[in-house]
Amino acid sequence: MSILDQGPPDYKKMIPPIIKDNYGKWIYHEIPKPGVLKHVSETGDELFSVRVGSPRLISLDFVRNLCDLADAYCDGYLRFTSRNNVEFLLSDASKVEPLIAALTEKGLPVGGTGASLSNIVHTQGWIHCHTPATDASGIVKAVMDDLFEYFGSMKLPAKLRVGLACCLNMCGAAHCSDLAIVGVHRTVPRINDEKIAKGTEIPSLVASCPTGAIRPNPKAKSVTIVDDKCMYCGNCYTMSPGMEIMDGKNDGCAILVGGKVSNARNVPSFSRMVIPFLPNNPPRWPEVTDAVRMIVEVWIAHARKGERMSEWIERIGWERFFTLTDIPFSDKLIDDYIFSRETFRTSATFKY
Amino acid sequence: MDKGAANPEIKDKVVAYLHTVQKAKSKDIATAIGEKKSAVDLAVKELTAEDICEYLYITTTYICIKGKVGAPE
Amino acid sequence: MTEKKTPQLDELEKGQWPSFVTEIKKAAATNAASEDLLHLLERSYEDRIGHWKHGGIVGVRGYGGGVIGRYTDLPEEYPNLAEFHTIRLAQPAGWFYDSKALRSICDIWEKHGSGLTNFHGSTGDIIMLGTTTDHIQPAFDEFSEAGFDLGGSGSDLRSPSCCVGPARCEYACYDTLEACHNITNEYQDEIHRPMWPYKFKIKFSGCANDCTASIARSDCSVIGTWRDTIQIDQDAVKQYAADGLDIQDRVCDKCPTRCLKFNSETKELTVIGEDCTRCMHCINYMPKAIRAGKVKGATILFGGKSTIVQSAFMSWVIVPFMKMESEDDFAEFKDLMGRVWEWWDENGKTRERIGETIYRLGMGKFLRECELPPVPQMVFRPRANPYVFWPQDEIIK
Repeated sequence: MSILDQGPPDYKKMIPPIIKDNYGKWIYHEIPKPGVLKHVSETGDELFSVRVGSPRLISLDFVRNLCDLADAYCDGYLRFTSRNNVEFLLSDASKVEPLIAALTEKGLPVGGTGASLSNIVHTQGWIHCHTPATDASGIVKAVMDDLFEYFGSMKLPAKLRVGLACCLNMCGAAHCSDLAIVGVHRTVPRINDEKIAKGTEIPSLVASCPTGAIRPNPKAKSVTIVDDKCMYCGNCYTMSPGMEIMDGKNDGCAILVGGKVSNARNVPSFSRMVIPFLPNNPPRWPEVTDAVRMIVEVWIAHARKGERMSEWIERIGWERFFTLTDIPFSDKLIDDYIFSRETFRTSATFKY
Repeated sequence: MDKGAANPEIKDKVVAYLHTVQKAKSKDIATAIGEKKSAVDLAVKELTAEDICEYLYITTTYICIKGKVGAPE
Repeated sequence: MTEKKTPQLDELEKGQWPSFVTEIKKAAATNAASEDLLHLLERSYEDRIGHWKHGGIVGVRGYGGGVIGRYTDLPEEYPNLAEFHTIRLAQPAGWFYDSKALRSICDIWEKHGSGLTNFHGSTGDIIMLGTTTDHIQPAFDEFSEAGFDLGGSGSDLRSPSCCVGPARCEYACYDTLEACHNITNEYQDEIHRPMWPYKFKIKFSGCANDCTASIARSDCSVIGTWRDTIQIDQDAVKQYAADGLDIQDRVCDKCPTRCLKFNSETKELTVIGEDCTRCMHCINYMPKAIRAGKVKGATILFGGKSTIVQSAFMSWVIVPFMKMESEDDFAEFKDLMGRVWEWWDENGKTRERIGETIYRLGMGKFLRECELPPVPQMVFRPRANPYVFWPQDEIIK
């Protein structure tokens, strides 16, 4: 029999003794080398965390492998980060290098600290999502392979946080990332009257459309779409499987840049679209990896030390961003949805 | 949500109402039977534990009589 | 099993980043559903579309959340994916584990599921990826025996999550783990029994660096802060200067309010306390020399959500400062949540996140009806138009 409402396991039983002893007593931390954090407590205790990249979609073998390493090097304790990295927690400094050697032997990358590219936060994509416009794990793998050198080093101008969302529902909250890859549809849903008639509440479906493009079609117990009003958000498809929006020839990815969530220096900001569409070209999405690398390299070449993507772009100006990256600007990048006005320039000062 | 035991009369009213519809949000049940929503939520909690009702997720979560709505086709 | 090939996915086993394809293959060695998943994904790579249908009615007795129904649209070709549901398990606060707990999860999932997982899903739960309808209840029975409960799904409170907090971070302005654990336990009904217009997420970040991305990813963001002035250790400042940190350039000039003054002769750093907005930049750069103030707590913000439908919203400041230390403080937070949820439940349309409800009906109405005092910290700047909805009792009759 199941136990109802016992809640999550008690974290107090999952934290290692060194953390119990120094809970709330940490006074500073250093990054002795990429992927290793050293936290120092007011008691004088030192805790070493070794950060490891993971593909997030993992087998039980992988989890048990982590357990074996935790048992061998950190008395069985480990944690995961908000970006799906694994962190081994060591109270014994002499075990750090042997652990890193063991991880390297198993092909697990150590890094993601300081001015580096951390793991890409992403969604399920074609693995398990029912509304995707692109895959998630495949693009993430391709981009992380391509930018691998920046995970295990700290030579970027500042930290680089990349997010990927396989549709506009954005389960991965890519909308506030330094660089975001977002799955987009480009064609009007194909209406399947039979499916809609079978199990869809027409008023809810009509109401789900943010632009009012969907009208009831009582004769067919279905709906019609005003094509010109549809901006392919896919919300209607979430409401009804009869609004078939997935289109293998036309779905793809948009690239957005310059978002962040931290309050440090400038306030949190949304990522902004700079490339409206790149094709889905599995298995390695070369158009996407090339665009991401190009933007990252221009940022590296031009940003001042410590400047995140958003700070760099806001300092030089978005108009200069397009000059430096040579990304073509088009009317597709000018907002025409409901909160557009604040993005239009209302000043005679700008750059070329 | 309220704590404690549900009012059996409200439970009966919820079941009676759910027999007249395919599915409903608990807010709409509360309006239809003229009871406080928090009391309906509590009644639903017990009715689902008793296997009389169940939660149903179709883009938002509804409540229905158990078995009334099947898997997607 | 027929010998089907996966040339596109095989390509993704190359390269230095750990491969999810290798992981699926490992699971596929002993599990027929994972084997089918591999081939279905290859099919998606050929067709360039997904092959999953909308969720249906699956769950465990007594709960309305925590299990997500999933069915492939090609069940004849991939029979082991005819049902491939997800179970969400609530994660321990801060995502701390011991190997015993992780191994118990593995043993249960080996018996009842595909052998594939996500550590973790976007909201924070442990994601057990792929099982059949028949296995859901037995799997849950065993998970709960092992000390794990289900997380949220559907129109309920989703599993709250928090940053590493005081367990391993000197920046934490309140105990994010205890707050998350305490508040998660208080709201088990709200997590397991969906009753709202739509989903609701809470994230706890210990400081304004916001490592859980709470401002972007949660309807209620609880972000650690302090009310008084940062504390500066001048000896440590001198040490940073001696070690070669360009304090003027890297710290003072980057301060958004220019409230820090560095005296290059005495090597002393001073702050104009009332100008500081507590952004964390100087503390991030000089953790040994600069610490948060002594009066610590959290800023409570509401309304964050992603793009669908009315554009993405970041959370808005609703309570600039709330203590988050004791059970009494948590009680104050819960009292606030109670009022806010009741208002949203009353006013929200189906599938409307609270940020959208507040925006549609007006912040003024939300504040008045939830008895929240309006303060200037809530806005970047006041309104530019004079269209005030005047209360009738302020009008001369």
